[in-house]
Amino acid sequence: MTTRTEEWHADPALLSRYLAGALDAVTGSSVEQHVNRCATCRNAVGSLLEPRLVERTWAGIREAVERPSLPSVLRLARRCGLPEPTAVLLAGAASLRGAWLVGAFLSLSFATMAAYASGGTALAPFLLVAPLAPVLGVGAAYGPRQDPLEALIATAPYGRTKLILLRTIAVLVSVLPGTALLGLAIPGPPWLAAAWLGPALALVPMLLALAGFVGPRAAAAAVSLAWSGVVLGSTRALAPTWPVEAAQQGVYLGLAVAACAVIAIRAGADRQPGVAL
Amino acid sequence: MSAGASTVELTGVGKRYGRMRALDDVDLAFDRGVTGLLGPNGAGKTTLLRIVATSIGADSGEVRLLGRDPSRSHADVTAVRRELGYLPQELGYPSDMTAFGFIEYVAVLKEWNDREARSQEVRRVLDAVGLADQATVRVSRLSGGQRRRVGLAQALLGDPRLVVLDEPTTGLDPAQRADLRRTLSALGHRSTVLLSTHQTEDVAALCERVVVLAGGTVRFDGAVADLVATAVGQVWLADEPGDDALVSWRTGTGRHHVVGGRPPVGADPAEPTLEDAYLLMLGPDAHRVHTPS
Amino acid sequence: MSTTPIVTDAALVAAVADEDAGALRELYERHGAWLHARLIRRCNDPEVVVEVVQDTFVALWKDARRFRHDGEVGAWLWGIAFRRMVSRLRSHRDVVLIPEWDVSPTLQQVMPSAEDQVLLGVEYGDLAAGLRRLSPEFRSVVQAVVLDGLTTKEAGRLLGVRENTVKTRLHRAKAQLRATLTEPQEGWR
Repeated sequence: MTTRTEEWHADPALLSRYLAGALDAVTGSSVEQHVNRCATCRNAVGSLLEPRLVERTWAGIREAVERPSLPSVLRLARRCGLPEPTAVLLAGAASLRGAWLVGAFLSLSFATMAAYASGGTALAPFLLVAPLAPVLGVGAAYGPRQDPLEALIATAPYGRTKLILLRTIAVLVSVLPGTALLGLAIPGPPWLAAAWLGPALALVPMLLALAGFVGPRAAAAAVSLAWSGVVLGSTRALAPTWPVEAAQQGVYLGLAVAACAVIAIRAGADRQPGVAL
Repeated sequence: MSAGASTVELTGVGKRYGRMRALDDVDLAFDRGVTGLLGPNGAGKTTLLRIVATSIGADSGEVRLLGRDPSRSHADVTAVRRELGYLPQELGYPSDMTAFGFIEYVAVLKEWNDREARSQEVRRVLDAVGLADQATVRVSRLSGGQRRRVGLAQALLGDPRLVVLDEPTTGLDPAQRADLRRTLSALGHRSTVLLSTHQTEDVAALCERVVVLAGGTVRFDGAVADLVATAVGQVWLADEPGDDALVSWRTGTGRHHVVGGRPPVGADPAEPTLEDAYLLMLGPDAHRVHTPS
Repeated sequence: MSTTPIVTDAALVAAVADEDAGALRELYERHGAWLHARLIRRCNDPEVVVEVVQDTFVALWKDARRFRHDGEVGAWLWGIAFRRMVSRLRSHRDVVLIPEWDVSPTLQQVMPSAEDQVLLGVEYGDLAAGLRRLSPEFRSVVQAVVLDGLTTKEAGRLLGVRENTVKTRLHRAKAQLRATLTEPQEGWR
């Protein structure tokens, strides 16, 4: 009896009835148990299904498998309305990887805790890190040392300048809100919570402007060093809040305006193909 | 675009890097078909291709691409770039991108905003270079030749009117070169294809027209057959290399292949190859390409 | 048509783990249709079935490394697919799991030919008759645990009863079936 079972295959009529749900439960289960073990019958089922259905299902699988999945940060952004092509472009930018964001927030959290624990006297870590996080993020948004796609980005219709601006905005959007929230935990006068925004919004244009002359890495290093000098240098003799007091904010505003002017002038004068931010 | 104007027109184009003149007073025009740029390293091939690909600008002279002056305005250069496919000499790939992901990224840069159409186009170009089965493989795991083909595939996106390929045959074996020839000759029917190489076999296999570039100047511009014809009567097979031969080397039969100079004693004239003509065209520079044996 | 494939399913899964999409396609050619058929028999919404099949093969693509080569690929795929469908049931209330074990008067029940009956009967032997005699609650746990391969915990979630209840019913169903099998049968031998 057993040998007959191995040679037996369900005929197409039986399989059709199975597919149509016209077999009673027990018979149907029996058919199932057989086909589970029999490749020939599985193939037979394949020819009984509508070919377009089979193809359509495969098209969905192929689509999901071929296209790289977006990082979770970007998937969230997509749900908030970010256009799909933009998400693909940003997925190529290293600084938006979750790991970078997590690292930035960890350092900011520690800095915030230091300020909180010290009752508002140890502000230096926070004032140092908060404006630098976007600066380093934007610097990294230029891509790895020699962006492997540099030549293609420079000669594509989308435009290198546009891409860098896009990445800059993405970094700012991803970093600023969280930093603002952390800033609320800093003890002291209420304006202190947002005071770091002044230097942040000045340092980023300065980075972009400088990068046009000396490249992103050197520019990021220069800007970071300069700001570190300001913050750390001021802790020796000045009040903890000095770097972000009104007078200094005025200076930052002036620097920001100057940097934007430099960027605008360069962009206007750059008609040569290949020269940009 | 006015009737009769070529796809690419270079008039008196020059480019310097510091004190070195990479291109000197170059006059060239390209139209539909496949043209090879042949020349030794440092001849200015890459510089020329970068100018045509709008990657850099020329210092002097006039450049017209697809009827436009790319240095005139952002709109002009963008219009050119919409119809351009470019494979740079060195192309890197972000480490964990798949072949499909990489080409898709470039497709978005080329303004393919509709996801479905974009996916189809990416699949089409991958298929055109024979990498349909490798779509989901990470580029870092592909062989050198496969990576080059991925680079070639992105240059084919959208069937551009102007295709610039810098050393596309690097890392390709003869079978893949044959595939490339088929792809390019089909492309050449509709588009202007400009490719550079320092190997004459590539030109012989892939191009109808050849431009020999050396020291930043054009030494020859015409059909491949015409270039070969310039070497007639200057190539011999002899037992001893001639004293004033341009280059010579020992062949497998033990005799010497002699190019240029006076015919040595007892020499038999030999059928010139493209390489012979190329060497003769280079003149004194020939030694940079071929060391005498 | 040869029934022995040149490349084994397990080898294809290994290729899929190696980022080979062509191997995934081949596995889909071999198992996709049957997976679809089994799911259609249990679910009244064809679009849900399409999505579950797609999700299953995408899961295969992502988790191919985790496949232990001691089992059947088809069974492994079914495990993924059925569990996915069951979890969809919880969020899509309009999807219904069939088959109904009670003969429905509206469904046209067509019995297979006598020979097929006999041969199919060999698959289960007397089990078929015994199953028919079980009460609905017992049948549904047997269907879920024995035939569909769920764990007792998952079956409990599916049927809306506690896991202990599932275990008890399964135990008693098996006892009842064993009692059935030892009874003399008519007509099957």
